[in-house]
Amino acid sequence: MLARAVPLILLVAAGVYLTVALRLPFGAAARPGAGFYPVIVAVFAIVVALVATASAFRGAPGAGAVELDAAPRRRVMITVVALVAFCLVLPWVGYPAAAFAFVTVVLRYLGGRWTTALLTGVLSSAGSYGLFAVLLDVPLPHGPW
Amino acid sequence: MGPLEGLAYGFSIALLPGNLFACFIGVLVGTIVGVLPGIGPVGAMALLLPSTFAMHPATALIMLAGIYYGAMYGGSTTSILVNVPGEAGSVVTLLDGYQMTRKGRAGAALTISAVGSFFAGTVGVVGIMLAAGWLADVAIQFGPPEYFAITLGGILLLSRLSGGSILNAFVMVALGLALGTVGMDSISALRRFTFGSVQLAQGIELVPVIMGVYGVAEVLLLAEEGIAKTQIASVKLRELLPTPEEWRRSTMPIARGSVVGFLTGLVPGPAAVLSTFISYTVEKKMSKTPEKFGTGMIEGVAGPEAANNGATAGAMVPLLSLGIPFSPATAILLGALVVHGLQPGPLMISQRPEVFWGFVASMYIGNLMLLILNLPLVGVFVTVLRLPQHVLATLVLLLCLVGAFSLSNSFLDLWVLVIFGVFGYALRKLRVDPAPMVVALVLGPMMEKTLRQALFLTRGSVVELVARPLSATILILAAAALFGPPLVRLLRGRRVAKPIPQG
Repeated sequence: MLARAVPLILLVAAGVYLTVALRLPFGAAARPGAGFYPVIVAVFAIVVALVATASAFRGAPGAGAVELDAAPRRRVMITVVALVAFCLVLPWVGYPAAAFAFVTVVLRYLGGRWTTALLTGVLSSAGSYGLFAVLLDVPLPHGPW
Repeated sequence: MGPLEGLAYGFSIALLPGNLFACFIGVLVGTIVGVLPGIGPVGAMALLLPSTFAMHPATALIMLAGIYYGAMYGGSTTSILVNVPGEAGSVVTLLDGYQMTRKGRAGAALTISAVGSFFAGTVGVVGIMLAAGWLADVAIQFGPPEYFAITLGGILLLSRLSGGSILNAFVMVALGLALGTVGMDSISALRRFTFGSVQLAQGIELVPVIMGVYGVAEVLLLAEEGIAKTQIASVKLRELLPTPEEWRRSTMPIARGSVVGFLTGLVPGPAAVLSTFISYTVEKKMSKTPEKFGTGMIEGVAGPEAANNGATAGAMVPLLSLGIPFSPATAILLGALVVHGLQPGPLMISQRPEVFWGFVASMYIGNLMLLILNLPLVGVFVTVLRLPQHVLATLVLLLCLVGAFSLSNSFLDLWVLVIFGVFGYALRKLRVDPAPMVVALVLGPMMEKTLRQALFLTRGSVVELVARPLSATILILAAAALFGPPLVRLLRGRRVAKPIPQG
């Protein structure tokens, strides 16, 4: 299922890319415009996606995903959700709070004890904020407080 | 400046306290990420790239390259002692290295691999001096058509060599090329594929992509395992000395490995990984007792460990003399130079000798530091393995997040990091190598620019473009490498299984 879906998604993506590329000024061979090279890339992408689709539907040994047990899958999912959540809340709650929550939650779910997780959360958010925001002058969002 | 004069000048630069310190930090970080499974040199280089923005370009190059070749030393330690490759360039080492540990010869294996790496590093420095100078002299006559042929040929070769199926590699290449067209067109200043986003106009930055694919993705793989306890063999200092017999058997493999590694490094592809497979195969073929490989043969450690170090040196040649990176690691080095407005290429050696020669000399010094760090202090680095993996993994993620943001204080980079982290993890699960995508992302814009300039020069004649002697030669070589092996296989009418290096 997945092995057949992926090439099809690629094919659609390559098609969308081509339609956008075709709207850019193509120019001529002697004076290639902004759309010249993207169109070549798009054609290449479509050919590759077509071959991939064909070989997937012919049942050639394609890329088969390795199934994971429930526990490892949960650990990966939680880490990914935490990463996305970090990006979403960073502008609103600021770096120190987001970093603290991120480290604490991820560490706890990767198998750390609550005490380790909380302590590492505090130390790492304070330490990295000090290093990047204070010493290196990176304008990390500090939140409403 | 001749090579000897240049090297002397280079040492005067590399021995400046600031550069010496940068070199030390680089090789130290390199050794540590090499020892730690899961976190590789490319991710670490991307992480530390922002910290080099305030440095002199030579200093930045010295430190970042130190991580790259330092990891080749550190990786072997984990392979030999724990039977887990510290990084992809040390996968082959564990075949015989860990068997030596089981026989109580861990110390000898560590010493031989460190000495082999050092020898190869030295050969590599001499190789860079000779090859980069020569290539730069040739490359001065290159115009856009030649550069176009080199970038195109490089991408084709890389797809062939990256392991796994060519089809998968081509999918990655197409993706990388397409991503490379996002943003402002460098010639007409037209915005492409930005869908109205102002931030996307500057294009998709390489560094968050690399941090995602090589940093976040690797941590997600670690997250699968949760808390894992590692069994580590302990080594005493006096066990480090190999026997005269072991020295004798290692000499030729180290010499061959150094040359094989350097040459592999010159060719586009995952040189450090590939070179170890080639070297192992060569040693097995040369051996009188090939059946004993895999049971703790010192040759199987000496050759590949020299080769991966030689390869890191060889990979510098196309970067320094052509300005073209053929691997994710050298792409980061290019990024570090471009930030300072420095365009590596045939003119850099003469126009910015302090960068080129300072860097070459620093590689020599760095290798010496690594020899000292990795032999008597091997025990110290092994304790790094006792750090709780889950704490380390979480902290690396936080560093990736804050590092990606600090590149240009942009939230877009954060999203690129996370999206490519998840994507890179999926690729690892599907056993697809992301390197062709990363290299295509870097080479794509170069390829477009040179193609458009070249077509302008030849007034739109594609024939004239590919028929220039140099471009024709390069493209024919790339095509031969790409289509030769399957063609030969087809003619012979049988399929030959080939080893797939997983990076």
